[in-house]
Amino acid sequence: MRNSKKGTLSITLYILFVILFLLFTLGPIAWSFSLSITPASDLSPESPILPENPTGENFKELLSSKNQQGGIFLKGLRNSLIAGLLSILIGIPIAILTAYPLARMKFKGRQLVKNLLLITMVIPVFATIIPLFRIFTLFNLIDNMVGLVIIYVTSFLPLSVWLITSYFETLPRELEEAAIVDGCGRFMVLLKIIIPVSYPVIFAATLIVFLTTWNQYLIPLILAPSYATKPIAVVVSEFVTKTSINYGLMNAGGILAVIPPAILAVVFRKFLVKGMVSGATKG
Amino acid sequence: MRFKDRSLPYFMLLPMIAIMLGLVYYPIAMTFTYSTRNMILTKPKEAGFIGFKNYFKLLQDPDVGKAFFNSLYILVLVIVLTIIIGLLFALLLKRDTKIKGALTAIAIIPWALPPIVNGVMWRWVFHPSYGIINKILALQGSMDEPIMWLTEKWLVLSIVALVAAWRSIPLACVTFLATLQSIPDHLYESACIDGCNKFAEFRRITLPLLRPAMGIILTTTSISAINVFDEIVTLSGFGNATKTVMVETYMRSFKFLNFGEGSALIYLAMIATSIFGIFYARSVYKEVEYL
Repeated sequence: MRNSKKGTLSITLYILFVILFLLFTLGPIAWSFSLSITPASDLSPESPILPENPTGENFKELLSSKNQQGGIFLKGLRNSLIAGLLSILIGIPIAILTAYPLARMKFKGRQLVKNLLLITMVIPVFATIIPLFRIFTLFNLIDNMVGLVIIYVTSFLPLSVWLITSYFETLPRELEEAAIVDGCGRFMVLLKIIIPVSYPVIFAATLIVFLTTWNQYLIPLILAPSYATKPIAVVVSEFVTKTSINYGLMNAGGILAVIPPAILAVVFRKFLVKGMVSGATKG
Repeated sequence: MRFKDRSLPYFMLLPMIAIMLGLVYYPIAMTFTYSTRNMILTKPKEAGFIGFKNYFKLLQDPDVGKAFFNSLYILVLVIVLTIIIGLLFALLLKRDTKIKGALTAIAIIPWALPPIVNGVMWRWVFHPSYGIINKILALQGSMDEPIMWLTEKWLVLSIVALVAAWRSIPLACVTFLATLQSIPDHLYESACIDGCNKFAEFRRITLPLLRPAMGIILTTTSISAINVFDEIVTLSGFGNATKTVMVETYMRSFKFLNFGEGSALIYLAMIATSIFGIFYARSVYKEVEYL
């Protein structure tokens, strides 16, 4: 009797707690979405919390290249996608090539390389961006997508190397030894044996690289000032500072910028959670 | 063959070393040389080596002091919010229920989103006339005048900290959760033999075992809290009162084009954070044995 009473009490508490959790985590996104589907004519301080005449107008406007806002927005969306793919293509091979010797080979300076790489994780962007801005100006690299992406790569390389290295370290050595005895070179071992069995961590690193690139703001703010390379995050932030634009459109822009990373997070949560935890705890 | 084997690791590291050397270490050193120069892009004629004058000038500037204080305020608040809420959420997610998987998926969403857009969305939560909070307060009738959430300095800084914490809570939460799940049940069972109560159990067993996780979370959260920039831009702009060290550095370097002072300021920030970092790394990291 006492037990069942205690049970219902703790279930009620659990549900209450879940509701608070959902309000805090999804509330801001839900509210922004609600504003994004409210027609401009309905937006007023007195309007009810839930929109009475929901509309997709704002989304339509942003996703059609015919009007000015849509053109800018779609370009930003495209730029972010290209930057994301490029950073994966450049960043992941470099990360794997770095992680393998750090995890598996003996050579002079290994610990030094590890430490030097790790230390850059605590270096703020501003410690490098001022000279980088000058270098980019000098070599005409401002608004150059590849140049921009290489800067992104340097910013997430330590974390992805760390993730992949700590995974490689957990693999049994017998895996490679047989192949080496057979006369297989170290490089082939990496390519044919290590990479195929390490797909979970490589996939997690790939996702994190894409998300980090998608979320950049400060670096492109300085190095990518024109619409030709400006990513979606910067475009959305400019909707806020330009007062002429309507609030619904601004929120629709935010929601569209948030949908791809949110979907990736939900769909691949298992890989990401593992990556987040081992990225945070190893070493 | 032997030669090849010995040089192979260096060949493999070459791409990484090349880009890190050229685009991270070299610029860091350059930033230091900039910091010892009079380097205002709009006044190229006055350029030249001036020693540590930029540093002395910054240290005497009350704006810089305020910026450091604002950064510290955000840092402390972000850490407190992240640890407390992250731990509460981890305890919530630990419970085995049918919705556990869905809740974990939801929990990591804020971590994945662009911080600048988080700022945009939260702006509408706290907007004086269109914000959901004021709307609810008005509906309840407990508010006569709309509350100006985003104009009063300390209120804005607190909201910035809340929004920054919003995206660091997921990492704290999953790290705590992983640790909680790794605590063997027999620890709790043996505690129960002596008669247990939930709170004592949490304080005596769970909390001490969470210490290493706590250290990791403190470190990662501090790094991201010191670098908060995007949320400030969207929640309060580049306004004077709420400037942090990063915003101040941005303004000096890229608005007033005073690269010398901007560089000196970021070096001051790095010196301050490394002193602080060494100080608390010592107090936080302690080995824990799981029996």
